[in-house]
Amino acid sequence: MKHLSLLSFIIFLLANSPLNAQKIYGTRNAKISFVAPSDDDVKAVNNEVTSRLANNGAISFSLLIKGFKFGYAEMQDHFNNEYLESNKFPRADFKGTITNIKEIIFTKNGTYKAQVTGSLTLHGVAKNITANGLITINNGKISALAKFPIVMKDYKIEAASVTDKVNAEISAVYQ
Amino acid sequence: MKLWPKVLLIAISVAIITGGVIAYRIFTKPHRDVTAEKAVTLTAQKLFDAFKTNEANANQLYLDKAIELSGEVMEVSTNQDGKAVVNFKTNDPLFVINCTFKTNPGELKVGTVITFKGICTGYIPDANVVINEGILIK
Repeated sequence: MKHLSLLSFIIFLLANSPLNAQKIYGTRNAKISFVAPSDDDVKAVNNEVTSRLANNGAISFSLLIKGFKFGYAEMQDHFNNEYLESNKFPRADFKGTITNIKEIIFTKNGTYKAQVTGSLTLHGVAKNITANGLITINNGKISALAKFPIVMKDYKIEAASVTDKVNAEISAVYQ
Repeated sequence: MKLWPKVLLIAISVAIITGGVIAYRIFTKPHRDVTAEKAVTLTAQKLFDAFKTNEANANQLYLDKAIELSGEVMEVSTNQDGKAVVNFKTNDPLFVINCTFKTNPGELKVGTVITFKGICTGYIPDANVVINEGILIK
């Protein structure tokens, strides 16, 4: 019994040791926006993106398709009902890693380049993507920014009459 | 006058009018206004339970619907576009109902019980149910 409690004490110490300390930062209100390069009336924004970033480089984004707000209500209806089929595919998810995480020092103020690679699931189709982003550390406050294109046919989105691609931008301020 | 110029003229007129009507609809259709809609009334906890137990079923009941939600304010913040956001408490410490206001609700205090009316955009597992375009009821 004595050994058992000693063992659990050691496990407790190991689990809480600073060497293993993994810190996860999160937000429920990251912002993603996109615009069609050929027609800047075709644009939308979603301010309810859930994101998590761990200091080991794991990064994720989850958002609801119905959360995209367009300037024009009719466009928003077409986007949901015809192109993204948001009743059938209500969410989009990205799970990936920052491959150069060792270069980002979470305890030192600065703006760091981040190479992100991972899998984006959109409209029921998962595809590997890579993007270059920026991570800013300001007195412990962490924010992330990335821009990347989304090609409609990669995700089987039939929106050729509107655009074949959009430019997306994501911005997260973590807590 | 020959027949074909008339046909052509009619065809062009029809095309212009149709195009005009489509453009008119795209540019003038109003956004949803939750204020005027009849809402499903429930508590933050009930909404969380519904999604946690059966997402497909909860989507049927609540997705894209006007929801009038009552619950305890756990957190108040502002999003990147300056809109007020309230997270409602549930019995799971990691899970909230994330509600964004379209109109300024004034000062909101953590720990108080409020009623919010907005449109449910869905469920993000292990994180939150999202309601946006909302207004403060009381």
